[in-house]
Order: sequence, then C-alpha cells, then structure tokens
Amino acid sequence: MASATATYGQKESSDQNFDYMFKILIIGNSSVGKTSFLFRYADDSFTPAFVSTVGIDFKVKTIYRNDKRIKLQIWDTAGQERYRTITTAYYRGAMGFILMYDITNEESFNAVQDWSTQIKTYSWDNAQVLLVGNKCDMEDERVVAGDRGRQLSDHLGFEFFEASAKDNINVKQTFERLVDIICEKMSESLDAGDPAVTGAKQGPQLTEQPAPPHQDCAC
Amino acid sequence: MDLGLLQALERERVLEVLRRDKQLRTIEEDRIRRMKYELQELRRRGAKSFARQYGERTCARCQRPLGKFWNSGAVCHSCSHRICSKCRVGVGAAGWKCTVCHAYREVKFKSGDWFLEEKAKKFPVTTDKYEMVGDRLLKTYHVLSHISVVPPTPPPHLDYQFLSRSGDLKNSKPFTKSMEDLMVSFTSHIKKISTSQNDVRGDLLRVNNSRRGSCYSTQKSLSETDINKSSNLFKGPSLPNLFKKSKDSDQEGSSTGAEEETSCGSEYSGGKRGSSSSSISTDCGPFESISITGELELALAYNTNTSCLEITVGACRNLNYGDTRRKKCHPCVKLYMLPGKSGKMKTTVKKNTTDPVYNEVLKYHVERHLLFGKRLRATVWHSGTLKRKVFLGEVLVPLDGWRFKDKDSQRFNWYPLCQKAESPEGGAVEQDGGELLVRVKLSSNNQGV
Repeated sequence: MASATATYGQKESSDQNFDYMFKILIIGNSSVGKTSFLFRYADDSFTPAFVSTVGIDFKVKTIYRNDKRIKLQIWDTAGQERYRTITTAYYRGAMGFILMYDITNEESFNAVQDWSTQIKTYSWDNAQVLLVGNKCDMEDERVVAGDRGRQLSDHLGFEFFEASAKDNINVKQTFERLVDIICEKMSESLDAGDPAVTGAKQGPQLTEQPAPPHQDCAC
Repeated sequence: MDLGLLQALERERVLEVLRRDKQLRTIEEDRIRRMKYELQELRRRGAKSFARQYGERTCARCQRPLGKFWNSGAVCHSCSHRICSKCRVGVGAAGWKCTVCHAYREVKFKSGDWFLEEKAKKFPVTTDKYEMVGDRLLKTYHVLSHISVVPPTPPPHLDYQFLSRSGDLKNSKPFTKSMEDLMVSFTSHIKKISTSQNDVRGDLLRVNNSRRGSCYSTQKSLSETDINKSSNLFKGPSLPNLFKKSKDSDQEGSSTGAEEETSCGSEYSGGKRGSSSSSISTDCGPFESISITGELELALAYNTNTSCLEITVGACRNLNYGDTRRKKCHPCVKLYMLPGKSGKMKTTVKKNTTDPVYNEVLKYHVERHLLFGKRLRATVWHSGTLKRKVFLGEVLVPLDGWRFKDKDSQRFNWYPLCQKAESPEGGAVEQDGGELLVRVKLSSNNQGV
C-alpha cells in the first residue's frame, strides 16, 4: 500500500493546476488517530493496526471548493513528546489546525488545552483550529461526552466535530469546514485595510475623490 | 533543532519527508514565480504611459479615451486611477476594482502571500523559520542519506572572477571620471538654457570632447534628425529620468502610440550605448533585460526625535539571477527619495544569492512634513563584474499616505518587485516635471579642436 500511496501523492504534488495552496497541521496526543484520519481523507483507506508516526509526514490532496481548486498539504505530526521539536517547527507554516483527541481517552482530552497553548505560541495569530473528537464509532468505550468537547471548543473559540476515521464519519466535513474558515480569513486579511471595501461603505460621494495611496496597493 | 536524538532509521524517514516537502515547495515556487511574472506583465501593459499626458481622460488600464458624460470612468479605490467600465472587476458586494488591482489581489491569494504577511505580523523575522527548518536539516544530513530524490544544492563558492576583475575596476576610474565631467558640463549647459527664457530652439549647444569617438556618433545621430524630432517636448524631473523614460518607451515599442517620442527615445538609448560605462550608469547605463521576479522586504519608521526616516532593508527573496548565463547574483538595494534624485543610499552587496538578507537600516534626515508627496524608490541591482549593474526590480512606496504612527505599518512588509516601468502612480512624478526643450547639434568644425 505504501508504494501505491506514494505514487498517488507524487502525482498530486506535482500538479500545478490549482488556485490556492493551504497548509494544514494535525496535532493531538499519541494514538488519537491523526494518521488514520489523514489516510481516510487523502486515500480513503483505514488500517486498524497502530503504527506510530516518526516525526512528521504529509499528504497532498487537491479539492474543489467554492469554485476554486485548493491544494492541501496536510501535515501529520507525531504525538509523542520526543518529536516535539520537529513538529512545533512546522506550526509556523500552517494556516489551519486540526486538534484531535480520542473520545475513549480522557487523557487525550485533557491535553487539548496544552495543545491549544502550543498553537498560540508557535503559530500565527489568526490560526484557524478545529477541535475533533475522533473514534466516535466506539460509543461503548466513550469516556468524553460530546457536550464536554463542545463546551471546551466554545471556551477555546474553536469549531467542533466528532468524527470517526474508521467509519468515515465527518472526516471530509472537518477538512472542508477548515478550508472554508481559512478562505474566510484569507479574504479578511486583504479586505481589512482595503480602501475599496471601506470606501464603498463610506458612501458614493467619495467615489470621485482619489483615495490616498495605500501601502498594500498594487498600483 | 537537530535530529541528533533520533535513531538513524527515524532520521531517514524524516529526511525523506523533508525531501518530498522540498520538491513540493520547488514546484510551488515555480508556480508563484510565473504567476507574479504574469502580473507584472499585466501591470506594465496597464500602466499609464508617459507618452500621454496624465490629465488626458483615458482609462488607466486600456488607454481608451473617456467621455465627459458618457462612460466617463470612475476612480478605482485601490489605485486611484480613473477606470472605464470595461476594466472593472466586481469583488463581492464590496464594490469593484480595476483589472490590475483585482489581479494583484488574486495573486496575493494564490501565492499565499496573504498568509506570509499575516504571519509576519507575529514573527517579524527576515528568515522564514518554517521554510528554513526543512532545508537546513536536509543540508545537514544529506551526506548521510542513501536516497537522493532532490539533488543536493551545490555549496556556495566565491565568484573569483569577480574578485580579480575588481582590480580592473579601479583602473577604469579615470575614464569614468572624464565621462562624469562631460555629463556635468552637459547638464549645466542645459540648465543654463532652460533658465534663460530665450528661444531654446535657436540655441546651439556645443559639447567639445575629442577623447571619445562614441560621443560624436551620439551627437551626430541627433544632429542628423530633423528639427521637429529633436525638439520634442519631454516632461520629467531630471535628466536621468528623461533617459530612463525614453528607454522605457523604447522598450515598449510603439505601444505608446506616440511615434515621435519613440523614435527619439531610441536615439537616446543609442547614445547611451555609445557612452557605455559612463558614471550615470546606475540608472540608465548598461541594461540587460531580464525578467523581474521576487520580492523585497522593507520596514519604514519615522523617528521624530532625530527627524529621520528609518528604512530597514530586510531581505529579498526569489530574485532572478543577475547573470543568467552563469547563474550568479550579487544583489544590493538602492534607495532614492522621489521626486528628485537626492539622497541615494545603498546597502552592501551580498554575494552569490538570490535570497539576500540585509537587515540594514538606512536613514534619511528629512522633516516629517516634507515627506508629503514623496515616494521611496527601492531598486535591486545585481552588481556584476566591471561595475556592470543589472536591474533586478524596483519597488515604489508612497510616503505621504504612510501611517507612521500605526505600529502595523512599521513592521516588515514584502513588496513584489516590478519592472522599471513608469510608476503606476505616475501622476506624482509628473507634478513636479517642468518642460525642457533642447536641441543638440554638433558642428563638424570642432573636430580639430
């Protein structure tokens, strides 16, 4: 399987036919299912065997969303503490994060706050984060109620999904929602200081007056 | 950060991922470069040409005339140019932008520059850590690896030829000096002409120079043109600009539509070639046409205590090779205050890099209120052998709208480098331009003198 996915990834990564490129990082405690989540999304595959990720890995997937082709470089990080120096080095380049915990693992849920602090420390100010409670197919072994996840996400200002990589629940939705949020932030970032937008709000009487030269302006 | 703690196999796994990432980034950089080049082309085509008077009512993008009542155009909020209805692109409910401003916005999205800018607000460092981490590790460990997906980058080496040639450079000083003198006398003559309000057409300017034959050919070619042509009106703040503009119109060919100006421009550029390596060369000297890529990082701040405008030149990235044949680049950044040619300053030259990091603070002593109407022109040059400078791009930053009090605006910003075209805010340049009417004639009698 490894070789098959490698060639698939190769084709995807050399493709230049897209509009935007977003970089997304998946973080969370070890064994919460980050790699499985990514494999489900990128390759639509699932392996129950647990193989710990070494340091970092990534997959590329191009999606069509909001009339745009968006190439996603999704970084999968090792949850283990000993790889932390490598993984945190990649926070800075990520536009969005998927912060994952395991609904059958209390400890992984308790660590969410710490992961959130890590994002705040190492990432840009406007980092978009989705909180995902994985393994929601294992209802029998659930220890973290859905409401607790929702409350925590509200508290942290993140959006929240419960998902299952195994049963393919909410996997696609999670990524697509994150892409949408990044798209919103992207527009905001340029419109914030844009005289075209603020000017239009101020009314038509200003249209004949040249706007003052703007530092972000193209011309 | 290093991979020392990891076992050899783990390290190999990580390096393999980093290599894949580098491959991806290389492809992406290539895409962005092409995209920005296309944008520059669009901007160049859309720029108001000097051949036309700025006040003329034409659309700044398609150059079509605008009517007084019908299709009178409207001002684009982003660039303040008057735009006809066809050259507008709607951006959501917010309104519209002109084609160039819209394309600029799109490129910012597509290249991910919006993110880099946002990120720079928090990490105003010049070396992008994220980009560097992978590369650094790859460099450190590529010796250890068995798999070589990406060929290792050759180690940087000094351009020995450049060093040895720098000796020759000194020898050529006297010659350069003499040319400088010539230019000074030439310009002073012109000043005299323009100050005396006599009929300039009747005035005859003789430039005696028996040392350089090439100058004769220059002037001869001018004298041979008929009077109508040589007495063209040029608008511009200074002589170097005049050269520059004529060169631009020369490059753009007859797209300006002003035939006479173009033909005159080519004469000037001919003269320029004749007097190659004259000391005015930095702006209008040997010019190799290479495509402009990359960006320049600047931070501007005004120090009220010292009345200094402090410009921090951070870095450049993705520059084109100044010497495309040998894949060499020794970039430096020059700063000017426009209008006028005053206060030229430059950074040191960085060797063998297309991503130089300067972090140099250059200061202009200027009163705050005098910044009104001024613009900062930052040009990037490859300084090749024998003082041969190759233009790598420029950035124009208007200073009067600059919010110096705003903390955000004092941070580093990446500016995409542009062709040395006439600036799109051309109006500002022309405001201070007087008119100059010159005719140069060489009398062959003087040859013996």
